[in-house]
Amino acid sequence: MRNGCPLFEKAISYDLLWNAGGCEAVDASQQWVLAAMQRHGPELVTMLWRILANEQDVCDAYQTTFVRLAHREDGQQPRHVRAYLFRTASNAAITMLRRRQVESKSLSNLGPCSCACERAERDFDTRHLAENLRRYIAELPDHLRSVVTLRDLGELPYREVARIMGISTGTARVYRCKAVQLLAAWMSKEEPS
Amino acid sequence: MKSLRSTVRSHMRGPSTSRAGSCRHTRQWFLAAIRRGLGPEAGWVQRHMASCPRCCRRAAAWRRVELGLRVVKSRPHGLSLLQKANAEAVRMLTHELRDTAQAHELTNPDPEQPFLGWAARHRHRLTNVAACVAILLLTRSGLFSSLNRLNRDGEAYVRHYYASQAGEDLAGEVFDS
Repeated sequence: MRNGCPLFEKAISYDLLWNAGGCEAVDASQQWVLAAMQRHGPELVTMLWRILANEQDVCDAYQTTFVRLAHREDGQQPRHVRAYLFRTASNAAITMLRRRQVESKSLSNLGPCSCACERAERDFDTRHLAENLRRYIAELPDHLRSVVTLRDLGELPYREVARIMGISTGTARVYRCKAVQLLAAWMSKEEPS
Repeated sequence: MKSLRSTVRSHMRGPSTSRAGSCRHTRQWFLAAIRRGLGPEAGWVQRHMASCPRCCRRAAAWRRVELGLRVVKSRPHGLSLLQKANAEAVRMLTHELRDTAQAHELTNPDPEQPFLGWAARHRHRLTNVAACVAILLLTRSGLFSSLNRLNRDGEAYVRHYYASQAGEDLAGEVFDS
């Protein structure tokens, strides 16, 4: 996906350079970072994979998440490591997804649009459906998007989603419902008549 | 609604020791009742949807989103993705952290299933060895001698049939030559 996208590669390399610059601040007393990686890594990778569907992007978002955890301003372990990790990872992944969409849009503007005739056919393709859904999830307002990514893609219970977002469980349910309504409206607009 | 009232009443009268479990049961029952009466599967909702194209479109759009979410969830990632992601993340940490046993454990390929990884690498050799062992076991158990005996018995039966139908001379000519 990233091949042939110099802008994206440049952005990623700057990100890595920034990360590398801060490495010296971490010391051996921060072994809890590794413990967190061991404990929450599998779930995080699954969530990132569902958001991004690209192995290299998953690795980048995962790396960004743990480097941010290790380089927090106060250098202390956050009170809720799991909540911190899931929130940071979903934000990093959505940022990457949006960046990817902007790039693919600009690339499709450059080339001839050959996809119009295939649209109806592709609509039944599950991959196309998943891609569309990802695109629309990235366009949701922040609070709705967070609930959908944490609840549906991260498969966290509402209780935990509510704690991560600092809202009540009922509000989390309402946000999820609103998000699905919005996604349904956007997807049905896109549907060929 | 009547049964709901009776459930709630019995819950109110119930002993306080089992109140937590009773609360949970009541809540679950209540949610299920609401879903049955007001959910998309309820009869009156289905009847309305059959006659209202607007609601039908809206329900179809919701189902589409649910389907999309299911599709997204159903695609598994590669087995090595976690290890790859761990390796890349650990590489960005300091030497002190990178050199710990925990970090090695995180970045080792398939740390949970070392035997399966080894078995996958030596698949062909293992198959050959298993085939040889199976042949040896079959020989030891006398399967091959049983097959030979079966063959002999079958031949004798066919010879006897020919002898009775076409005569002993012809059978001897066919089978003894």
